[in-house]
Amino acid sequence: MISMRGVEKYYVPEEPALAEVNVEIEAGEFVFLVGHSGSGKSTFIRLLQRELLPTGGQIIVAGQDIVRLKNWKVPYLRRNIGCVFQDFKLLPNKTSYENVAFALEVIGRSKHVIRTQVPEVLRLVGLEDKMESYPDELSGGEQQRVSIARAFVNRPPILLADEPTGNLDPATSLGIMSLFNRINKTGTTVLVATHDREMVDSMRKRVIALESGHIIRDQHRGVYGYGD
Amino acid sequence: MAINIGYFLRESAVNFRRNWVMSLGAVITIYLSLLLVGVSMMMGVIVSEIVQSVEDKVSIQIFLKDGAATEDVKALQAWLLADELVDTVNYVSKEEALERFKEEMAGSPEIVENIRENPLPASLDVTLVDPRTVEDMVVKIKANETFLKICDRPDEPEESLKYGQQIVNRLFAFTRIVRIIGVVFVAMLAVVSLIFINNTIRLAIYSRRKEIGIMRLVGASNWFIRAPFFLEGIMQSLIGAGLAILTIVAIQAAVLPRLQEAVLFLPVDLAAGTMVQLSLVLVVAGVIIGLVGAGFALRRYLKV
Repeated sequence: MISMRGVEKYYVPEEPALAEVNVEIEAGEFVFLVGHSGSGKSTFIRLLQRELLPTGGQIIVAGQDIVRLKNWKVPYLRRNIGCVFQDFKLLPNKTSYENVAFALEVIGRSKHVIRTQVPEVLRLVGLEDKMESYPDELSGGEQQRVSIARAFVNRPPILLADEPTGNLDPATSLGIMSLFNRINKTGTTVLVATHDREMVDSMRKRVIALESGHIIRDQHRGVYGYGD
Repeated sequence: MAINIGYFLRESAVNFRRNWVMSLGAVITIYLSLLLVGVSMMMGVIVSEIVQSVEDKVSIQIFLKDGAATEDVKALQAWLLADELVDTVNYVSKEEALERFKEEMAGSPEIVENIRENPLPASLDVTLVDPRTVEDMVVKIKANETFLKICDRPDEPEESLKYGQQIVNRLFAFTRIVRIIGVVFVAMLAVVSLIFINNTIRLAIYSRRKEIGIMRLVGASNWFIRAPFFLEGIMQSLIGAGLAILTIVAIQAAVLPRLQEAVLFLPVDLAAGTMVQLSLVLVVAGVIIGLVGAGFALRRYLKV
């Protein structure tokens, strides 16, 4: 589903943000991407979204060589990739329902599709009672659930999450992670970048560890595993 | 697609409301520039109609001396009619000339009353097929022997001819200057409108950067993200164009009749079709300005 070969990314010469990255992620896998701040996790995620182009190497996502992908095709790539962020990125003037519906609206889905899929996905994330609430009326965990619902409403084969629990307390984080787990069970490939040690250790999923832009460890059923 | 059009209209209306000061500025500059385009076009049409009517009136008057022999006059008339440049030749007797003079001077009866004997010469009025050949024809007439024999002042044949070439030339020069000034002004205002639209769209993009970010994230296509901004640019220019058209219609209704009163001898009027044509030009020009202005802003400030 995701394949990176010899990928490197330089923001400034001589200081790689990522180097010699070789990763194969199969469809339906659940992968943690761990590492300190500045180790290259975000760059990794943004390369997969094609927010950035690599300095070198090949990246295949959902069967497409995204380095060579024509600019006008990028939106169609992104429809196959759900994204969740630390800061939720919800629109404050829209309700939960409208925030999720917006994602379908702007890719041209019909009203009928929106009316059936949005309540369904909000039920899936456990927010069926909060559909008419605005983001500032929701807790952090609830806001993140709305943002996950928005990322997943289009049923993308891949879900990327960049520090999804960075702003949440441990108990809430656990709920979010089990939600990712459930989404993963539907066959969706999930990649979560995090430095939440407890989470990674308790889930026992594949762990890819980054340090100064290099992959230093890639193990199945792994743990966070840094000394600090 | 029906939902999309509704969506775009809603989005651009919201943008317009949010930045109404800038939008108003854009609308006003577009309005002013299009108004200037319209007024100069209108003036152009009126002036060329005036030129036309003056050209129609351009004729050569050949003044004849009192008591010129009828055969000679007839011979000159026949010679003129035989020339291919000449359209018509009309004999005006002394009495007719006096009648005309009295009619023209009807506003000043004291002058008419003071005329004792008829001071006016008889004349041949020559109209030409093409008014621009007036000079050529004058040269030919001056070389004609019959003319020299029977003209009003044989010592100075030049003085026995009257023709309106200077008026036509001056009008042509005036029209040219009006056109050049119009084009320069319009070009400057078009640039200003472009800058204004560019700025309003930039602000609109800025105030919607969050939405745009999310749209990109979830894979909205580029034209989908851009469309509301283009629509906003077009909306601003259409409102400007509409106001300009209304103003020009008002000018036509209120100012032209007064102008006509002031210069009775010239036709100051527009054909009905001219207004339709003018409105079309303004709307199309407005849409182009809107599209180009929004296009610039999107290229510079919206990376999709």
